[in-house]
Amino acid sequence: MPEIRNIIKGCLAGSRRDQELLYRRHAAKLYAVCLQYSGNDDEARDILQEGFIKIFENLICYKFEGSFEGWMHRIVVNTALEKFRNKHNLYRVDDIDLIPEPDSAPESEDYAGLEAVDLLDIIRELPPKYRMVFNLFAIEGYSHKEISEMINISEGTSKSNLSRARVILQKKVNLYTGLKKKVVIG
Amino acid sequence: MANERANIDLLFRNGLKDYEVLPPVEVWNNILPVIRRKQRPVLLLRSAALLAVLLSLSFLAYQWSRQLSQSVQDPLIAVADQYIQPQINISPGIRTAKQPSVSKQKGNLIDGNTSDEQPVADLSDGENIRSSDIDIIPEIMDPTAGNNLSVPLSIQMIRGFSYNTDIANTGYESLNKYDFDEPKEKINRWSVTAMASPTFYLRPDIGTGEISDQINSSEQTRLSYTGGVGFAYKLSRKFSVQSGLYYATVGNEVSGINSFAGFREYDYTKGDHNFEVLTSSGRIYTDNADVFLRDNSGDRVQTMYTNDVFDPAKANLSYINNTLFQNFSYLEMPVIFRYKLVDKSIDFNLIGGLSYNLLVNNSVHTVIDGSRYNVGKTEGMNPLMVSSSLGMGMEYNLSDKFSLNLEPTFKYYLNPFGEFKGLKSQPYSFGVFSGLSYKF
Repeated sequence: MPEIRNIIKGCLAGSRRDQELLYRRHAAKLYAVCLQYSGNDDEARDILQEGFIKIFENLICYKFEGSFEGWMHRIVVNTALEKFRNKHNLYRVDDIDLIPEPDSAPESEDYAGLEAVDLLDIIRELPPKYRMVFNLFAIEGYSHKEISEMINISEGTSKSNLSRARVILQKKVNLYTGLKKKVVIG
Repeated sequence: MANERANIDLLFRNGLKDYEVLPPVEVWNNILPVIRRKQRPVLLLRSAALLAVLLSLSFLAYQWSRQLSQSVQDPLIAVADQYIQPQINISPGIRTAKQPSVSKQKGNLIDGNTSDEQPVADLSDGENIRSSDIDIIPEIMDPTAGNNLSVPLSIQMIRGFSYNTDIANTGYESLNKYDFDEPKEKINRWSVTAMASPTFYLRPDIGTGEISDQINSSEQTRLSYTGGVGFAYKLSRKFSVQSGLYYATVGNEVSGINSFAGFREYDYTKGDHNFEVLTSSGRIYTDNADVFLRDNSGDRVQTMYTNDVFDPAKANLSYINNTLFQNFSYLEMPVIFRYKLVDKSIDFNLIGGLSYNLLVNNSVHTVIDGSRYNVGKTEGMNPLMVSSSLGMGMEYNLSDKFSLNLEPTFKYYLNPFGEFKGLKSQPYSFGVFSGLSYKF
């Protein structure tokens, strides 16, 4: 199997074979990220497509320092962010986020039996803003300050969105695990 | 509560880590044409940059060769003063200012050394010796006194310059006599040159329309090579004509065509080919009954085994590749004229002419695990192509017989590689030929 360095060099030289090889090697993983950031499959496809075009266009900027997968992942996440901003920049709704956080924490459950596909389904059911904040904070590890700048909301809104996202996710997770248990017992 | 938050975060972070979902096939098919289109200007820019570098190098080499040749033409610079001073017997008390000065050149270096104490005669220009000068000479020198005005042999031999040492014996009027006996140089009229070049083929888009767009976005020419032997005959010092025999390969990649192996057992037709693929060069006809072709995103494949008739996935055919490679080989017979612009240690020639290209090989293959898998050949190719060439040749003479050549050459094909449905593409190419010449 060719080394990634050779594949990148081939892509830079315009080798169609290496371009396809690069795509085939990483598309599945990046498509999962796209699905995680999008509400529907069409949107995920668009993100992947635009993301890969950017990857090929900017390949010359990759200096073989750090993880190449991480570099591609960032490009795809940024593409998703860009799409999100374009779609949601018409309204900046901070006031709705002044609702206090829920008093009680969701119940802890045994999550065994929840598969990645279930988690993906759950996360995609979130409203776009909650999904974006949750992904950026919980999965990517960005701070609320960074998120507020990324998607043009206040830090308070970011915190509030995260909190809401967690509540919704917790409920859905409980529901899923409950259903699964029932199915197993039944 | 914080733990609960961390739990749900961790659940999703760990659960989705390394999760993979295969994207739909059409995503790649949509990406490819975009990155192809964007790569073309880059290729053009690279070619332009290469051309600029070559021109700059040519200019620098020209300047350098000029300087070099000037220093060779003016060897007196390297000769000590005492060798260029005539040994003239001058009577004391006679004014020497009017005496003729001997100097090969108007060069300041020599004139600078001219003083009353070191009289020199200027042989470069007869007018420098005025009648008044001649009038005074009898007073200072007896013409019959012998060879007083002597010039060392080393000076006389420089560049064939023959100084008349009998000057004192034959009279002062012959002071201005000097002969340029250019040695009769034998001109090597014939030369044989072995040259090779990587060649970049480009072709303009073949028009507009759905099928043209599909072809334009999916095809890319490959780096090709040309090599062979040429003979040149020098018609005059500056003008020569050249011909020879060269072998040139041309390659074209057609992407977006999925090929599968194992179709033979499903092939019940008796036709000579099962699939046709439209390309800018002509139609690819399959001659391998085992191959199955399908266009990923367009209508370039024409076959009776359409989607509704045959599904390669259900038939469990083995996927090979999604790119076809067209290969053409030509025997090239050029008739090239050269005009020597600069005749120095590095010669510069303007090159122009026509080449006749005879198609000798035509095949199409795809690649499976690094090995070629024959698909067929391209029909409708012009068997004889005519191309026009224009270039700049640089020739560095290693010796009287051998020289190194570098020739950036632009070629434009006067007729298309192939033509179908009114779509024709006339490619052009750029190559930098390099090689060795032998003159005889």
